[in-house]
Amino acid sequence: MVIEAAQFLTILATGLFFLCFVFSIFFDVNDLNIIKLISRIYSHSFFLFLSSFLIYVWLAINDNFSVLYIAQHSNTNLPVFYKISSIWSAHEGSMFLWIIFLSLWGAIYNFSVHNNEPLKARTVGVISITTVGFLLFLLLTSNPFETTLPLPPENGADINPVLQDPLLAIHPPTLYLGYVGFVIAFGQAIAFLIEGNSSINWEKQVRFWSIIAWSFLTLGITLGSWWAYYELGWGGYWFWDPVENVALMPWLAATAFIHSLSASSKSSILRIWTILLSILVFSLSLFGAFIVRSGIIDSVHSFANDPERGLYLLAFIGILVMTSLILFSYRFTILISNKRIVSLSKESFISINNIFFGTLIFSTMLGVIYPLMYEFIYDQKISVGAPFYNAIFVPITLLACLFLLFSIESKWQSKLKFAFLNNPLIISFVFSLFIAFLSFKFYSVSRAWTLASLFIGSLIISRYILVIYVYIFHRKFVNIYSVLAHLGLGLLIISIALNNDFSSERALNIKINETETYKNHEITFNNLQLTEGPNYESVKADFIIENKNGNKFSLNPEKRKYFVRGQITTETAIHASLLKDIYLTIGDQLDDGSWIVNVQFNYFIRWIWFSATLMIISGLFLARSLNRVHS
Amino acid sequence: MTVFLRLFILSVSLMFFYFFYLYIEDDKYYPGASFQTSNMPLFELEDLYSDDVITNSDIEGAHLINVWASWCITCRIEHGFLVKLSSQGIPIMGLNYKDEKIDAINWITKFGDPYKFIIHDLKGELALDMGVTGAPETFLINNGKIIAHYRGEVNEMIWSDVFSPIIKKENLFNDN
Repeated sequence: MVIEAAQFLTILATGLFFLCFVFSIFFDVNDLNIIKLISRIYSHSFFLFLSSFLIYVWLAINDNFSVLYIAQHSNTNLPVFYKISSIWSAHEGSMFLWIIFLSLWGAIYNFSVHNNEPLKARTVGVISITTVGFLLFLLLTSNPFETTLPLPPENGADINPVLQDPLLAIHPPTLYLGYVGFVIAFGQAIAFLIEGNSSINWEKQVRFWSIIAWSFLTLGITLGSWWAYYELGWGGYWFWDPVENVALMPWLAATAFIHSLSASSKSSILRIWTILLSILVFSLSLFGAFIVRSGIIDSVHSFANDPERGLYLLAFIGILVMTSLILFSYRFTILISNKRIVSLSKESFISINNIFFGTLIFSTMLGVIYPLMYEFIYDQKISVGAPFYNAIFVPITLLACLFLLFSIESKWQSKLKFAFLNNPLIISFVFSLFIAFLSFKFYSVSRAWTLASLFIGSLIISRYILVIYVYIFHRKFVNIYSVLAHLGLGLLIISIALNNDFSSERALNIKINETETYKNHEITFNNLQLTEGPNYESVKADFIIENKNGNKFSLNPEKRKYFVRGQITTETAIHASLLKDIYLTIGDQLDDGSWIVNVQFNYFIRWIWFSATLMIISGLFLARSLNRVHS
Repeated sequence: MTVFLRLFILSVSLMFFYFFYLYIEDDKYYPGASFQTSNMPLFELEDLYSDDVITNSDIEGAHLINVWASWCITCRIEHGFLVKLSSQGIPIMGLNYKDEKIDAINWITKFGDPYKFIIHDLKGELALDMGVTGAPETFLINNGKIIAHYRGEVNEMIWSDVFSPIIKKENLFNDN
């Protein structure tokens, strides 16, 4: 009964959201009463929909296995925390959460933006119709409310064990928040195009929302990278897995978008870029949802396959994107700014940046769809791997960084006085050359790309540190959060380069009480014991590692077998220090009694996540400062 | 110039969506599937539960043969779908592959029995003759001939894309 009530609330909300859209299209949205009406209907339907979700959470906590989805993905033995997170451990429930977040962004927007703001009603309308499209998808093809009645099972089939991890409970929600957060930018852009009044400054309103969404997207991707590192035992931070790629594309587009916004919010220049990018960011987010949920691509992320779902999503996303683009080309003339971009102005650097990012997005997209096209034409499966992406990303990113370096001095709408020989550039140039030379001479870094990345990373860091110096001692205004975010970029480039150059791994064949030496570390297999956890049994190995200074520590990699699903997972053991991680996983036992143990030395991997964290924090603070100016 | 740019953006995105439409509608290519017809090898093997000998004469007409083992994790994942198939009246013969009797029986007791009967092939003799390389694998046989063979987990999608077309074409399992 409760289940049906929850489902009914969702259906009701769908109808009301649709009403919002209809009103925003057919009624006069300059009438304050109509705006109030639309705003209120939206709030109410969000409230109904949220209640439906909360009931669902309650059903999951109380092990209501008459709900098919809960019976398939939860279990009475799970801690409450995982009973809740089991909701987003598979397709139907995670789609449910996805839509909740989508409408939540709309609700926060609706609540915090004043009814007098010019584009509000239509923006809410666009957000509503997007929500309706996904709600229909949920109800028609992936209904989470389906029941097992009349005979509910006594216990559930359990959550997938690799998902029984605190980080994984957080990774999807954050990523979803980032993905769907761009619905506000998208909604505003479409509302602006429908309105067709070029004097409205939609960019200014949208900047705050987009930077927050960008921060969430960055956080979600970073958490996913960290989770794959320690839980999946992949031992790296990025794998060019197709689903990582479909998350990277909206991130790249979003990064270009927020840069472009900073230009268009000051003058209507670069408007074509900004509108197109706002459509692109959201379309790429939706494309990601399509790729993951249609089962087109095999990946750790893919959900159960169902061609019908793929077709529905494709049709819906296709209609949404094509309508937006037709609207865009219809209004093209009002988007053209009568001002010309001054060469070597900040705007010109931002357009160059957009071109770089566009190239990266295009290449990533090519890497994702080329195997599909190949399979379609030749009926053979091929995969595009890291070498392709590295060959494209490394040079383009480094080149873009060089442009960034020169753009620091540039000003809005005026030509940069182009002097190569200004002090900050010389100082940072000499410093970076010195760093690159040192690492070549004393740390045996010899690969050209590593040296180039080190050099350019140091250039960015030292140049921005000089900016901070000027900011503190000469009271010159700079956007300090942008400076911090770009420091993060410099650090990221250096860490990735060093990680790539120094890291190494080896598979050892080792018996109990034996010692092996790897890179000045003595690895002793001390013991092996069988233990039992709450819902698994495990083999836990005890290794003592001694480095050349005589420091000892123990590492306990594990292999678990979960009872309910019989799935086997590896639990890595990691010893983290400032510069490197020592990373152990155990594999199978061989016939002679020895075990296969994989040892990895991962250098600077913490620094990669630290850099990302720096960007996320800068993003959140930047948004906060924008909000303060706004209100 | 602007007209060209607009048309370019529109047509590229339209082509993009059209490609994905074609891709979804296209018959997928499955590396695990093979449709070469061959004769079902002759066999005389014991039933898992008793000492009865099962031979070719027990699988006349159309049957599925599913190769499984208690040590096979994928078989466990596949199992739910087999139970569903058998409840729809599709006769499935189990070929227990390189497995201890007691393990196999425990496994079936725990997870349910979708099989009409189960052959115990401890040494993998019949499996070898049939060209099995691992578990799970599933064969479709009709009147003593293997007409389809799938290596890997059979699920809803594999069933509808690999097995259903040939079943429809050959008009099998109709009496059920």
